[in-house]
Amino acid sequence: MKVLAFGEIMDGGTSVFSSVAKVDGDLLIVSFGGSIRIDNPYRYLEQYLLDLEQLLPQEKVGRIEFDVKELDFCNSNGFYIIMDISEMIINTIPGPITVKRLKDDDWQQETLPILLNVDEPEISTRITFQEFAEV
Amino acid sequence: MVTQEDLAKTNIAMRYDLSPVRNVIGDLSGLLGTFCDELIGAFYPKNISKKANIVITELVNNAIRNSADGEGKMLLEIAINQDILRIQVTNPATMSQYEKVKGHIDRINSAGDLRALLAHTIRERRKDRLRGGLGLIRLAAENKFTLSAHYRAPYLVIDSEIGLGGLS
Repeated sequence: MKVLAFGEIMDGGTSVFSSVAKVDGDLLIVSFGGSIRIDNPYRYLEQYLLDLEQLLPQEKVGRIEFDVKELDFCNSNGFYIIMDISEMIINTIPGPITVKRLKDDDWQQETLPILLNVDEPEISTRITFQEFAEV
Repeated sequence: MVTQEDLAKTNIAMRYDLSPVRNVIGDLSGLLGTFCDELIGAFYPKNISKKANIVITELVNNAIRNSADGEGKMLLEIAINQDILRIQVTNPATMSQYEKVKGHIDRINSAGDLRALLAHTIRERRKDRLRGGLGLIRLAAENKFTLSAHYRAPYLVIDSEIGLGGLS
Protein backbone atom coordinates (compact mmCIF):
# COMPACT_ATOMS: atom_id res chain seq x y z
CA MET A 1 0.00 0.00 0.00
CA LYS A 2 1.30 3.46 -0.80
CA VAL A 3 0.15 6.90 0.22
CA LEU A 4 -0.73 8.95 -2.82
CA ALA A 5 -1.70 12.28 -1.27
CA PHE A 6 -2.53 13.81 2.09
CA GLY A 7 -4.49 16.89 3.09
CA GLU A 8 -5.28 18.42 6.45
CA ILE A 9 -6.85 21.40 8.16
CA MET A 10 -4.91 22.95 10.99
CA ASP A 11 -6.49 25.06 13.69
CA GLY A 12 -4.46 26.66 16.43
CA GLY A 13 -1.46 24.49 15.56
CA THR A 14 -3.44 21.26 15.79
CA SER A 15 -4.67 19.03 12.99
CA VAL A 16 -8.49 19.04 13.15
CA PHE A 17 -9.25 17.29 9.85
CA SER A 18 -7.26 15.03 7.59
CA SER A 19 -7.80 13.05 4.42
CA VAL A 20 -5.45 10.43 3.03
CA ALA A 21 -5.57 8.80 -0.40
CA LYS A 22 -3.85 5.40 -0.54
CA VAL A 23 -3.43 2.84 -3.29
CA ASP A 24 -3.61 -0.86 -2.45
CA GLY A 25 -3.34 -2.95 -5.61
CA ASP A 26 -6.22 -1.87 -7.84
CA LEU A 27 -8.07 -0.20 -4.94
CA LEU A 28 -7.97 3.51 -4.11
CA ILE A 29 -8.79 4.12 -0.44
CA VAL A 30 -9.71 7.68 0.53
CA SER A 31 -10.32 8.25 4.22
CA PHE A 32 -11.66 11.37 5.93
CA GLY A 33 -11.27 12.02 9.64
CA GLY A 34 -11.81 14.79 12.18
CA SER A 35 -14.02 17.85 11.82
CA ILE A 36 -14.54 20.48 9.15
CA ARG A 37 -15.66 23.57 11.05
CA ILE A 38 -13.81 26.39 9.38
CA ASP A 39 -15.36 28.87 6.95
CA ASN A 40 -13.01 28.21 4.03
CA PRO A 41 -11.65 24.65 3.91
CA TYR A 42 -10.23 25.27 0.40
CA ARG A 43 -7.54 27.34 1.99
CA TYR A 44 -6.12 24.11 3.39
CA LEU A 45 -7.33 21.42 1.02
CA GLU A 46 -6.97 22.91 -2.47
CA GLN A 47 -3.44 21.54 -2.87
CA TYR A 48 -4.64 18.06 -1.86
CA LEU A 49 -7.27 18.23 -4.57
CA LEU A 50 -4.70 19.39 -7.14
CA ASP A 51 -2.29 16.61 -6.10
CA LEU A 52 -5.00 14.01 -6.53
CA GLU A 53 -5.98 15.39 -9.93
CA GLN A 54 -2.38 15.13 -11.07
CA LEU A 55 -1.46 11.76 -9.53
CA LEU A 56 -4.61 9.65 -9.93
CA PRO A 57 -4.51 9.25 -13.74
CA GLN A 58 -1.06 7.71 -13.41
CA GLU A 59 -2.31 4.92 -11.13
CA LYS A 60 -3.74 1.59 -12.30
CA VAL A 61 -6.72 1.56 -9.96
CA GLY A 62 -10.17 0.25 -10.79
CA ARG A 63 -12.05 0.40 -7.49
CA ILE A 64 -12.74 3.19 -4.98
CA GLU A 65 -13.34 3.08 -1.25
CA PHE A 66 -14.42 6.21 0.64
CA ASP A 67 -14.13 5.81 4.40
CA VAL A 68 -15.96 8.58 6.30
CA LYS A 69 -16.47 6.73 9.60
CA GLU A 70 -13.98 8.97 11.39
CA LEU A 71 -15.40 12.20 9.99
CA ASP A 72 -17.06 13.51 13.14
CA PHE A 73 -18.44 16.75 11.83
CA CYS A 74 -18.81 18.62 8.55
CA ASN A 75 -20.29 22.11 8.45
CA SER A 76 -22.14 23.27 5.39
CA ASN A 77 -19.02 25.12 4.18
CA GLY A 78 -17.29 21.73 4.00
CA PHE A 79 -19.85 20.26 1.60
CA TYR A 80 -18.28 21.63 -1.59
CA ILE A 81 -14.77 20.37 -0.88
CA ILE A 82 -16.12 16.87 -0.13
CA MET A 83 -18.07 17.08 -3.41
CA ASP A 84 -15.04 18.30 -5.36
CA ILE A 85 -12.76 15.56 -4.04
CA SER A 86 -15.26 12.72 -4.46
CA GLU A 87 -16.51 13.89 -7.87
CA MET A 88 -13.00 14.21 -9.27
CA ILE A 89 -12.12 10.68 -8.05
CA ILE A 90 -15.38 9.14 -9.28
CA ASN A 91 -14.95 10.73 -12.72
CA THR A 92 -11.32 9.61 -12.97
CA ILE A 93 -11.81 5.99 -11.86
CA PRO A 94 -14.76 4.34 -13.61
CA GLY A 95 -15.08 1.31 -11.29
CA PRO A 96 -17.21 0.29 -8.32
CA ILE A 97 -17.41 2.56 -5.26
CA THR A 98 -17.72 1.44 -1.65
CA VAL A 99 -18.60 3.97 1.06
CA LYS A 100 -17.93 3.07 4.67
CA ARG A 101 -20.07 5.19 6.98
CA LEU A 102 -21.77 5.27 10.40
CA LYS A 103 -25.34 4.02 10.53
CA ASP A 104 -26.44 6.46 13.29
CA ASP A 105 -24.91 9.65 11.92
CA ASP A 106 -27.43 12.06 10.38
CA TRP A 107 -25.05 13.77 8.00
CA GLN A 108 -23.44 10.55 6.79
CA GLN A 109 -26.87 8.99 6.22
CA GLU A 110 -28.84 11.95 4.86
CA THR A 111 -26.47 14.46 3.27
CA LEU A 112 -23.43 12.45 2.22
CA PRO A 113 -25.38 10.56 -0.50
CA ILE A 114 -26.40 13.94 -1.94
CA LEU A 115 -22.77 15.09 -1.97
CA LEU A 116 -21.79 11.85 -3.73
CA ASN A 117 -24.54 12.49 -6.29
CA VAL A 118 -26.21 9.10 -5.83
CA ASP A 119 -29.35 10.40 -7.51
CA GLU A 120 -27.48 10.05 -10.81
CA PRO A 121 -28.10 6.53 -12.20
CA GLU A 122 -24.49 6.37 -13.43
CA ILE A 123 -23.33 6.74 -9.80
CA SER A 124 -26.08 4.80 -8.02
CA THR A 125 -25.32 1.65 -10.02
CA ARG A 126 -21.66 1.81 -8.99
CA ILE A 127 -22.02 2.67 -5.33
CA THR A 128 -22.46 0.42 -2.27
CA PHE A 129 -22.80 1.70 1.30
CA GLN A 130 -21.37 -0.31 4.18
CA GLU A 131 -22.89 0.63 7.53
CA PHE A 132 -20.88 0.61 10.77
CA ALA A 133 -21.74 1.22 14.40
CA GLU A 134 -19.89 4.04 16.15
CA VAL A 135 -17.24 2.71 18.53
CA MET B 1 -29.94 0.80 33.12
CA VAL B 2 -31.92 3.93 32.24
CA THR B 3 -35.26 3.05 30.69
CA GLN B 4 -36.92 5.08 27.95
CA GLU B 5 -39.45 6.22 30.53
CA ASP B 6 -36.70 7.42 32.90
CA LEU B 7 -34.85 9.15 30.08
CA ALA B 8 -37.97 11.13 29.20
CA LYS B 9 -37.72 12.75 32.66
CA THR B 10 -34.35 14.28 31.81
CA ASN B 11 -34.28 18.03 32.28
CA ILE B 12 -31.39 20.10 30.95
CA ALA B 13 -31.31 23.87 30.57
CA MET B 14 -28.40 26.02 29.40
CA ARG B 15 -28.28 29.69 28.54
CA TYR B 16 -25.36 31.64 27.09
CA ASP B 17 -25.64 35.41 26.89
CA LEU B 18 -22.68 36.82 24.97
CA SER B 19 -21.89 40.37 23.96
CA PRO B 20 -20.71 42.22 22.01
CA VAL B 21 -20.85 39.84 19.07
CA ARG B 22 -18.06 41.71 17.24
CA ASN B 23 -15.59 40.66 19.94
CA VAL B 24 -15.85 36.98 19.04
CA ILE B 25 -12.51 35.99 17.51
CA GLY B 26 -12.38 32.22 18.07
CA ASP B 27 -14.47 29.27 17.00
CA LEU B 28 -17.35 30.03 19.36
CA SER B 29 -19.87 27.83 17.54
CA GLY B 30 -17.45 24.90 17.67
CA LEU B 31 -16.79 25.44 21.36
CA LEU B 32 -20.48 25.63 22.29
CA GLY B 33 -21.51 22.83 19.92
CA THR B 34 -18.84 20.44 21.13
CA PHE B 35 -19.51 21.19 24.80
CA CYS B 36 -23.25 20.62 24.42
CA ASP B 37 -22.58 17.45 22.42
CA GLU B 38 -20.57 16.13 25.38
CA LEU B 39 -23.09 17.27 27.98
CA ILE B 40 -26.18 15.92 26.22
CA GLY B 41 -24.15 12.79 25.42
CA ALA B 42 -23.90 12.20 29.17
CA PHE B 43 -27.65 11.46 29.10
CA TYR B 44 -28.57 10.54 25.54
CA PRO B 45 -27.01 8.43 22.77
CA LYS B 46 -24.51 10.02 20.40
CA ASN B 47 -26.99 10.30 17.52
CA ILE B 48 -28.99 12.79 19.62
CA SER B 49 -26.09 14.79 21.05
CA LYS B 50 -24.63 15.13 17.54
CA LYS B 51 -27.89 16.69 16.35
CA ALA B 52 -27.53 19.37 19.02
CA ASN B 53 -23.92 19.96 17.99
CA ILE B 54 -24.86 20.55 14.35
CA VAL B 55 -27.80 22.82 15.15
CA ILE B 56 -25.79 24.93 17.61
CA THR B 57 -22.87 25.20 15.18
CA GLU B 58 -25.03 26.30 12.25
CA LEU B 59 -27.29 28.70 14.20
CA VAL B 60 -24.49 30.33 16.20
CA ASN B 61 -22.41 30.78 13.05
CA ASN B 62 -25.40 32.38 11.32
CA ALA B 63 -25.98 34.67 14.30
CA ILE B 64 -22.35 35.82 14.44
CA ARG B 65 -22.13 36.32 10.67
CA ASN B 66 -25.44 38.11 10.30
CA SER B 67 -25.73 40.21 13.44
CA ALA B 68 -26.79 43.60 12.16
CA ASP B 69 -25.17 45.40 15.02
CA GLY B 70 -21.90 43.94 16.19
CA GLU B 71 -22.39 45.75 19.46
CA GLY B 72 -25.39 43.62 20.38
CA LYS B 73 -25.67 40.36 22.20
CA MET B 74 -26.18 36.82 21.07
CA LEU B 75 -28.28 34.53 23.17
CA LEU B 76 -28.14 30.73 22.94
CA GLU B 77 -30.70 28.73 24.91
CA ILE B 78 -30.73 24.95 24.97
CA ALA B 79 -33.35 22.92 26.78
CA ILE B 80 -34.37 19.32 27.03
CA ASN B 81 -37.70 18.85 28.77
CA GLN B 82 -40.40 16.21 28.39
CA ASP B 83 -38.33 14.51 25.67
CA ILE B 84 -38.24 17.67 23.54
CA LEU B 85 -34.89 19.21 22.56
CA ARG B 86 -35.23 22.91 21.90
CA ILE B 87 -32.43 25.19 20.73
CA GLN B 88 -33.08 28.90 20.37
CA VAL B 89 -30.64 31.52 19.08
CA THR B 90 -31.28 35.26 19.34
CA ASN B 91 -29.21 37.95 17.65
CA PRO B 92 -29.59 41.58 16.57
CA ALA B 93 -31.16 41.88 13.13
CA THR B 94 -32.98 44.38 10.96
CA MET B 95 -36.58 43.81 9.92
CA SER B 96 -35.42 43.03 6.37
CA GLN B 97 -32.98 40.42 7.66
CA TYR B 98 -35.81 38.86 9.67
CA GLU B 99 -38.10 38.82 6.63
CA LYS B 100 -35.41 37.11 4.56
CA VAL B 101 -34.88 34.41 7.21
CA LYS B 102 -38.63 34.02 7.74
CA GLY B 103 -39.14 33.56 3.98
CA HIS B 104 -36.38 30.96 3.92
CA ILE B 105 -37.91 29.04 6.84
CA ASP B 106 -41.40 29.27 5.30
CA ARG B 107 -40.03 27.70 2.09
CA ILE B 108 -38.42 24.91 4.12
CA ASN B 109 -41.58 24.27 6.13
CA SER B 110 -43.76 24.14 3.04
CA ALA B 111 -41.43 21.88 1.06
CA GLY B 112 -42.99 18.51 0.35
CA ASP B 113 -39.65 16.78 -0.08
CA LEU B 114 -36.94 18.23 2.17
CA ARG B 115 -34.24 15.94 0.83
CA ALA B 116 -34.97 17.10 -2.71
CA LEU B 117 -34.87 20.73 -1.54
CA LEU B 118 -31.51 20.18 0.17
CA ALA B 119 -30.07 18.41 -2.88
CA HIS B 120 -31.34 21.11 -5.26
CA THR B 121 -30.05 23.93 -3.05
CA ILE B 122 -26.60 22.36 -2.64
CA ARG B 123 -26.25 21.90 -6.42
CA GLU B 124 -27.50 25.39 -7.28
CA ARG B 125 -25.27 27.13 -4.73
CA ARG B 126 -22.28 25.02 -5.68
CA LYS B 127 -22.47 26.26 -9.28
CA ASP B 128 -21.74 29.79 -8.09
CA ARG B 129 -19.60 28.72 -5.12
CA LEU B 130 -21.98 30.57 -2.83
CA ARG B 131 -21.11 30.27 0.83
CA GLY B 132 -23.75 29.86 3.48
CA GLY B 133 -27.44 29.42 2.74
CA LEU B 134 -27.46 25.69 3.47
CA GLY B 135 -27.48 25.62 7.25
CA LEU B 136 -31.22 26.00 7.91
CA ILE B 137 -32.27 23.51 5.22
CA ARG B 138 -29.76 21.08 6.59
CA LEU B 139 -31.20 21.31 10.10
CA ALA B 140 -34.63 20.39 8.79
CA ALA B 141 -33.71 17.87 6.08
CA GLU B 142 -30.77 16.15 7.70
CA ASN B 143 -31.38 16.54 11.42
CA LYS B 144 -35.22 16.59 11.32
CA PHE B 145 -35.67 19.76 13.40
CA THR B 146 -38.77 21.94 13.11
CA LEU B 147 -37.78 25.57 12.56
CA SER B 148 -39.51 28.87 13.18
CA ALA B 149 -38.45 32.54 13.23
CA HIS B 150 -39.80 35.49 15.24
CA TYR B 151 -38.91 39.17 15.47
CA ARG B 152 -38.68 40.83 18.85
CA ALA B 153 -37.23 44.17 17.79
CA PRO B 154 -34.34 44.53 17.42
CA TYR B 155 -33.72 40.81 17.74
CA LEU B 156 -34.23 37.86 15.41
CA VAL B 157 -35.12 34.67 17.25
CA ILE B 158 -34.70 31.31 15.54
CA ASP B 159 -36.31 28.36 17.25
CA SER B 160 -35.49 24.75 16.47
CA GLU B 161 -37.19 21.81 18.06
CA ILE B 162 -37.21 18.03 17.84
CA GLY B 163 -38.98 15.29 19.75
CA LEU B 164 -36.52 12.79 21.18
CA GLY B 165 -38.99 10.00 21.78
CA GLY B 166 -38.06 7.04 19.64
CA LEU B 167 -34.66 8.43 18.65
CA SER B 168 -32.69 6.96 21.54
